[in-house]
Amino acid sequence: MNMLNSFIPALAFLFQEADGSRLAQMRHAATNPDLSKFLVIGALLFIIGVAGVLTRRNIIVIFMSIELILNAANLNFVAFSRYLQETGNMNAVAGQIFTVFVIVVAAAEAAIGLGIVIALYRNKETIWVDEIDLLKW
Amino acid sequence: MTLSGYEALFFWIFALAAIFAALLTVMARNAVHSALFLISSLVSVAALFVLAGAEFIAGVQILVYVGGVMVLFLFVIMLVNVSAEEKGSEQIFNKQRQVTASLIFCFLLVAGVLYAVNEGYRGLKSHRPLPEAAVGPPAEQSGPRTATGTSVMTKDTERVGSSLYRYASLPFEIASVLLLVAIIGSVMLARTLKQEASADDVDPDVLQEEIARDPELAKFEQQSE
Repeated sequence: MNMLNSFIPALAFLFQEADGSRLAQMRHAATNPDLSKFLVIGALLFIIGVAGVLTRRNIIVIFMSIELILNAANLNFVAFSRYLQETGNMNAVAGQIFTVFVIVVAAAEAAIGLGIVIALYRNKETIWVDEIDLLKW
Repeated sequence: MTLSGYEALFFWIFALAAIFAALLTVMARNAVHSALFLISSLVSVAALFVLAGAEFIAGVQILVYVGGVMVLFLFVIMLVNVSAEEKGSEQIFNKQRQVTASLIFCFLLVAGVLYAVNEGYRGLKSHRPLPEAAVGPPAEQSGPRTATGTSVMTKDTERVGSSLYRYASLPFEIASVLLLVAIIGSVMLARTLKQEASADDVDPDVLQEEIARDPELAKFEQQSE
């Protein structure tokens, strides 16, 4: 802690003793990120991905946004896995194993999706999703 | 789980980097820039995985996502390059009304999810109180030292590996079948008409039409008996 104070003087005040006030509680929460901070970061990444899927026209960028969404889910899995490890749960690495499978499915999905993009580009000469309306009645 | 000291500092650095890079991924005009920002977002999330004690997942994330999937993305961007996008003559977002509606939806989603996370976490804490002093899993405190002696080797990869083969061996096999299907499917999807013609995999009428348009194609037509 001394090293930290000398290296990063700007942050040093954050590490002062908590005195029980609301500001001190917030300071304590910021310097000791716990499970809920991981969940908040995961939620924000998820929502940025949803916004990308809903607003972009480029089908490749839409695929990248889907990768962001899957990654947000992975972050939640890993955070909960770590949380359960501290409760002494025996099967606490289940979250990490699930993450491995999510990554596998994401890789398969990206390969198939980009194959579809190439086939579509060959036939329709466009990657804008609003111009791909073959099924529109 | 509570991070402290340098871990907390790095947590905020990488969390902000991940969110900033994700925003830029969605907002960049050039698809190549989007891909590069997505790479930096994925690397930041991998660093968060390390902070959460999942070193193996972080390594897999870097190898599979950054090394495999993103290279695939960059190749496809190269293949279907649309130069109008970079010149700024094309609209990169949907129509105004659609964007407004979806952003309102996203804002509601932000509010709802953050409320749910806060309330749920408070409920979780009151339901199952944890000792605040617990900094890391007990596995990290003991165990063999690394060669330099500055840190302790974690058992994370070992535990993930043994659980993967003991408790999740059937899903593991199913995942390998899924990957095989994905390989074959993407090869079949991305074939050109020439490749399809040489494998005799095209509707004969369609093939005759295409040959009438492009006589070059007749060479690849396979003679059936």
